[in-house]
Amino acid sequence: MKDVLHLIGMYTKTTAKSWFQYRVDAVLKSLAVFLREATGIIVIWFTLLKFDDLNGWNIYEMLFLFSLLFLTYGIMIIFFTGLRDFGSTVRSGNFDRFILRPRGLLFQIIFVNSDWFAALGHGGLGITLFLISAGKVGIRWNMYNAVYYIFTVAGGVLIQGAVFLFLATLNIYLLQTNSLKGLIYWNMRKFAGYPISIFHKAIQFFMIYVMPFAFVNYFPAQYLLRKDDMSDYPEIFMYLTPAVGIVMYLIAYLFWRFSIRFYKSSGN
Amino acid sequence: MSFIEVKNVSKTFKISKRRSGVPGMLANLFVPKFEKKEAVKNIGFNIEKGEMVGFIGPNGAGKSTTIKMLSGILYPDSGEINVGGYIPYKQRKSYVGRIGVVFGQKSQLQWDLPVIDSFELMKAIYSVPDDVYKKNLSRFTEMLDMSGFIEQPVRQLSLGQKMRADIVAALIHSPEIVFFDEPTIGVDVVGKETIRSFIRELNEQDNVTMIFTTHDMQDIEKTCKRLIIIDEGSKVYDGTLSGIREKYGTSRQLDVEFGCMEDISSIDKVDIIELENNKKRFVFESRDVHINELMNHLLSNYSVRDINISEPEIESIIRRIYNKEVVEA
Ligand SMILES: Nc1ncnc2c1ncn2[C@@H]1O[C@H](COP(=O)(O)OP(=O)(O)OP(=O)(O)O)[C@@H](O)[C@H]1O
Ligand SMILES: [Mg+2]
Repeated sequence: MKDVLHLIGMYTKTTAKSWFQYRVDAVLKSLAVFLREATGIIVIWFTLLKFDDLNGWNIYEMLFLFSLLFLTYGIMIIFFTGLRDFGSTVRSGNFDRFILRPRGLLFQIIFVNSDWFAALGHGGLGITLFLISAGKVGIRWNMYNAVYYIFTVAGGVLIQGAVFLFLATLNIYLLQTNSLKGLIYWNMRKFAGYPISIFHKAIQFFMIYVMPFAFVNYFPAQYLLRKDDMSDYPEIFMYLTPAVGIVMYLIAYLFWRFSIRFYKSSGN
Repeated sequence: MSFIEVKNVSKTFKISKRRSGVPGMLANLFVPKFEKKEAVKNIGFNIEKGEMVGFIGPNGAGKSTTIKMLSGILYPDSGEINVGGYIPYKQRKSYVGRIGVVFGQKSQLQWDLPVIDSFELMKAIYSVPDDVYKKNLSRFTEMLDMSGFIEQPVRQLSLGQKMRADIVAALIHSPEIVFFDEPTIGVDVVGKETIRSFIRELNEQDNVTMIFTTHDMQDIEKTCKRLIIIDEGSKVYDGTLSGIREKYGTSRQLDVEFGCMEDISSIDKVDIIELENNKKRFVFESRDVHINELMNHLLSNYSVRDINISEPEIESIIRRIYNKEVVEA
């Protein structure tokens, strides 16, 4: 255990050291991610100023929705950068190296690299949005909902981590899955900034049962905000995020374990 | 039971034919199209502890694929592999701590960081005890003459320096078996010599078992006693380096310098090639033509000033094996 912690420390040190080789670059890159994402939000902000609310959600409540999305992504990417980049790791032959080391494969993928630019950019934006909105949406913070919030963020991280793990595993069969990731992750994420009740039933279905972004932010936000449109959905959905995260992650993990024996390296 | 046993191992790659666009992508997902490539066909060999074996063959022969199966990266489709009591692809975690692998084409060093940082990382990954680490590090850096650049970032190193650093990174945990896949590629003559003598010393002093692939026959001649040649996935030769001459190198050449311009009448089963200044080369198969008789014939019929007989170089025999110009003697 001590040995494992030491190794995680070494991996982190190595990543940080490479990072600080380009200090200015590092700060600028994080800032770039932050600004790119923030611009998206600002555009939405101005669009929404035309409406008083969207299905009962005012602008701050929607920023709160967004904040959960960015915060969970920011945390998730600290751990799952290796899964996000798994396709190129496989194609470049670097995954062969992981196999040659006496450590767990998933362990190495998770700890060898972290995209701190994305983590700071997204996470920073998540925190900023939280600070802007949390005081204005009428949440009375106490022990219970603080614990709820922490578990729900963890669940949201796991849900997205599971999707990344699942897509990464597909790389073992097909050497390219970026377009698939664009299709089912990034496209669906565009919807996830809004209350899902405004969308067509088919999209809602997709957001709840297929790529369950609804559990990352919509249902947790409902627990804290209690908007009227929650009546469209079973009450229990507000409590399921951690369970959905764990179940999805387990399934993705089993799929990974099953698939890894089909790995076929890459030619030179 | 040999230390390394490879029995009837085959590996076929399915290369998927890819289609583009979203419909193509979905089609790839559900009805993949494949083309088959037999990279390794029914290969077998045994290697004893402490042996050093050269593993050669033309591009695409299946060398790297075989090394990847031996080191546990790839599952063989059929056949059996046992290395020091382990089945590489099944007992990965306990197995890989005992081997070292150098891919000359693929560095494992941290590009942006000083060389030493990569070694420190290896130490943590393999849980190498402090004293072993210190001992190996000072010994290897000395042997490979690395003290000058160990603090430099990897991106500033020359190819040869990087290769030496990569070799140390693969050996810092004292593996008892090492697979070298082209460890001299892109390295200059001096660098190659350093690497070869390092490999030789490690083999002799530490009794490390090694397999060594390369395209440079000099590497093999200077390090390995035993040679395995594969071509198109099949083993075509397995034996000593000198044995290859006996098996394939049956042609001989006789270079003769004559006293004056001689017009030589043709000799049965001997090719005569004109060289400059009254010199001629006679090439023949040693089983068809008796060398004494040929020399007698020349000496008694022509005025001969100098005569020189040579065997073909190993390198040219190998080239002819690759080109399928030779058959077994
Ligand atoms: N991951 C892979 N997927 C598909 N085909 C592969 C893969 N790896 C190797 N091949 C094919 O298998 C054959 C053997 O390749 P291999 O890399 O083992 O050759 P090699 O002897 O190492 O050649 P070289 O001297 O060029 O390094 C080649 O035809 C190659 O294209
Ligand atoms: Mg190769």
